[in-house]
Amino acid sequence: MVKKMFRWLKKNHSPDKLKNLPELIRNLQDSGDFLHHESKQQDSSFFIYYFKTLVHETELNDHILPYLVEKPIKTLEEIPERVPIPGVIISNDLKEICEKVMRGFVIIRLNANAKECALIPSQVKKARAVTQPEVEFTVVGSKEAFVESLDTNIHLVRKRLPVHELKAYELTIGKLTNTKVVVLYLDGIANEENVNTVKQRLEDIKVDQIVDSSVLMQLITDDRNSPFPQLIDTERPDRVTSVLCEGKVVVLSDGSPQALIGPTTLVEFFSAFEDYFVNWIVASSARLIRIFAILFSILVTPVYVATLTYHYELIPKDLLGTLVSSRQRIPLPPILEAIFLELSIELLREAGARLPTKVGQTIGIVGGIVIGTASVEAGLTSNVLLIIVALSALASFTTPVYRMSNTIRLTRFPFLLFAHLWGLLGVTVCFSFLIAHLLKLKSLGRPFLEPLYPLRVQDLKDAIIRFPLKFQNKRPIHLQSEDTVRFTPVTKKEKNDFHE
Amino acid sequence: MAGPEVKDQYKVSPFLVFYLVHSVQVGVGVMGFQRISAKAAGNDAWISVLAAGLSLNVIIFLIYKIMMKEKGDLISLHQNLFGKWLGGCLSLIAIGYFIAMAITVLRTYIEVVQVWMFPDLNKWIFGTVLLFLVYYCLSGGFRVVAGIAFFGVVLPFYLVLTMVFPLFYGQFRDLLPFFNHSFMEMYEGAKGASLSYLGFTTLFMYLPFIKDAEKSHRWAQGGHLLTVLIYTLVMITTIAFFSTEQLDKTIWATLTTWKIAEMPFVQRFEYIGIASWALVILPNICITVWAAGRGIRRLSRISQQNATIPILIVVLISSGVFARRESIDLLNQYTSKLGFYFVYVYVPFLFVVQYIKSKVGRSG
Repeated sequence: MVKKMFRWLKKNHSPDKLKNLPELIRNLQDSGDFLHHESKQQDSSFFIYYFKTLVHETELNDHILPYLVEKPIKTLEEIPERVPIPGVIISNDLKEICEKVMRGFVIIRLNANAKECALIPSQVKKARAVTQPEVEFTVVGSKEAFVESLDTNIHLVRKRLPVHELKAYELTIGKLTNTKVVVLYLDGIANEENVNTVKQRLEDIKVDQIVDSSVLMQLITDDRNSPFPQLIDTERPDRVTSVLCEGKVVVLSDGSPQALIGPTTLVEFFSAFEDYFVNWIVASSARLIRIFAILFSILVTPVYVATLTYHYELIPKDLLGTLVSSRQRIPLPPILEAIFLELSIELLREAGARLPTKVGQTIGIVGGIVIGTASVEAGLTSNVLLIIVALSALASFTTPVYRMSNTIRLTRFPFLLFAHLWGLLGVTVCFSFLIAHLLKLKSLGRPFLEPLYPLRVQDLKDAIIRFPLKFQNKRPIHLQSEDTVRFTPVTKKEKNDFHE
Repeated sequence: MAGPEVKDQYKVSPFLVFYLVHSVQVGVGVMGFQRISAKAAGNDAWISVLAAGLSLNVIIFLIYKIMMKEKGDLISLHQNLFGKWLGGCLSLIAIGYFIAMAITVLRTYIEVVQVWMFPDLNKWIFGTVLLFLVYYCLSGGFRVVAGIAFFGVVLPFYLVLTMVFPLFYGQFRDLLPFFNHSFMEMYEGAKGASLSYLGFTTLFMYLPFIKDAEKSHRWAQGGHLLTVLIYTLVMITTIAFFSTEQLDKTIWATLTTWKIAEMPFVQRFEYIGIASWALVILPNICITVWAAGRGIRRLSRISQQNATIPILIVVLISSGVFARRESIDLLNQYTSKLGFYFVYVYVPFLFVVQYIKSKVGRSG
């Protein structure tokens, strides 16, 4: 087993197999975009090799080559002095050379058989321009979102946090993709144990490719068999800045416009970043609506199935009339009716997500209006249930974190089955399972249900209700920050004639 | 045999003892303790309930006195006081008592569901699912058990509000005259109410899991006082709502009072109440099974995981065996009696033995 792994490792690391530099260059010349040419002068000549797809050719021609040809080169050591670019190195380490040339360095050799070469950085930096956030768009607040380039992303954070305490620990993950991953944290504020947990988990990853930070998220999360996300991902640099100041740890991965935040708690999945941009009363009421929406989204269809299957007596006379008249033509039992509708909503959502935006809208109209009305008229579903299912689908979309809203919709199905099995009792049993599961979850080793359990009254200031900013003067307890005080609030009260 | 010490990372904060004590007390008892208590004490039953509750505050005080001296759990206490063999036997009896409590709670709850909601509920399937849920909770360690206790108190707490409805129809003059029963009648009433107070003896097992166990004393007393308060209020409402003859024939008085609760969108509130009650029952079974499993783990080399599965199977099978109303009533009576003597006789006895032993040990 170990031997097998070892062989695999050897196979992929070609520099180990190649003996010397000329052999490496011959190997690289298999690719069509690997260029080389010889510069001949009176008494000295040099060879230059690079990948034209990785190297900024204008920069090479304008800012590097002129310095190399102005005087004949005697030794390699002259090159770093001549070329006014930082990061020029001289190396004979095949592994290093290979790695650098794959990252856009230019190889300079003095003769065709030399084992040593100079490496000049001249990477082409092609990146999408910083655009508006699309998933986490807010009406007020910054309109910048992360892009695929790691350097740009770090820049976006650094310009918001111009302090030397902001550390960016860099490591490379993935045997093939060699993806750069950066752990951002504020030294002296973030809990060292949290930072080390993240670093340790990242270092323990053994995979060949990291294509996105979402993959990283699945690899470093605490419980991989839970449908609940245990780290928040965000595309907003301002949100990242804000959580860094709280003392959290952020992971950025090259090629991914999404940053991972941890440790986190369940209530944070239901707080939008916009909550901090508006007055605390408005923000708190929005949060309460969201929490109501989530409970509504999970429980309402199961409760409908439970009452209509087993507990007709529960419904008062007048309300029962409405329900019965809407259901009298329906040949299906409530559970099938509910599953039929829930599945068709899921179908619409999935189809909408896979299609281009414009077609997606059409699908929404066709599916939502045409199928909905038609199925009621055909007597397949009752219109009361149609309202309930549509509302609960709508409610699930109020969750600010996209990943969570998927989980919420999935959670509904076991509830439905339990409701059909034992009515309201089944709903409670399923709810108990949910609570037990949430109690077991951890985010980077910290309890996931905090501040509800373990109950920490101080952390409730930014949980279900967002208290005014002057109360947010202490860092959350669950982060175990090295520096718990954020600021000392200054309170000045304006007085009028009434107080005199 | 594993020692009573617990790693710091598994400990929970002292204030959770409030929920652990309260949630293990409030279980199936509160659904129908009124009849048993009022059989002897009549309209003074609420005084019996209150007196029984307050007397238990003293017992909790004694438990803390014993445990603070022992710095361990019931198993190590037994061993220190009575030696390996006798102590081990007593520990086994205590474990049996915890298991009996779990059986009583599960069986009684299934009975309530069968009578009030689903007459043809398959007790084996439902019991299996519920006990699987218990196992799922226990597998998270004591932290999760304490969490279930916390949510088992907080989430169904709204049910207390439903006690308002019978108040509208109650005849509070039924409570008068006070003290028109003899002391012995009141004592019988108190004895009848004791099943609903039992369970806090599991303190003996989980105290090592509490950070600064000494600080948790007031929380334990507080949790118990909340139970006393709720029971007394429920008893007063029940006496006001039912006539004595009617109460004598009402097995689950609390559930019957729910029947009159009426809201614009809900009739027959007892369906919701009984369903929510699953959340109250869960910590009950969790804590007792946990205590039994912990006891076996401490007595032998078996890990708690391997001890818990057989316990759950025993609970399932024995609760399934009790099929008739009379046998369930008998089960309740016996557990009640056992618990009564455990609390009022055995705990003071332990206290005295420990006291004498410490005196003798010091002089000798």
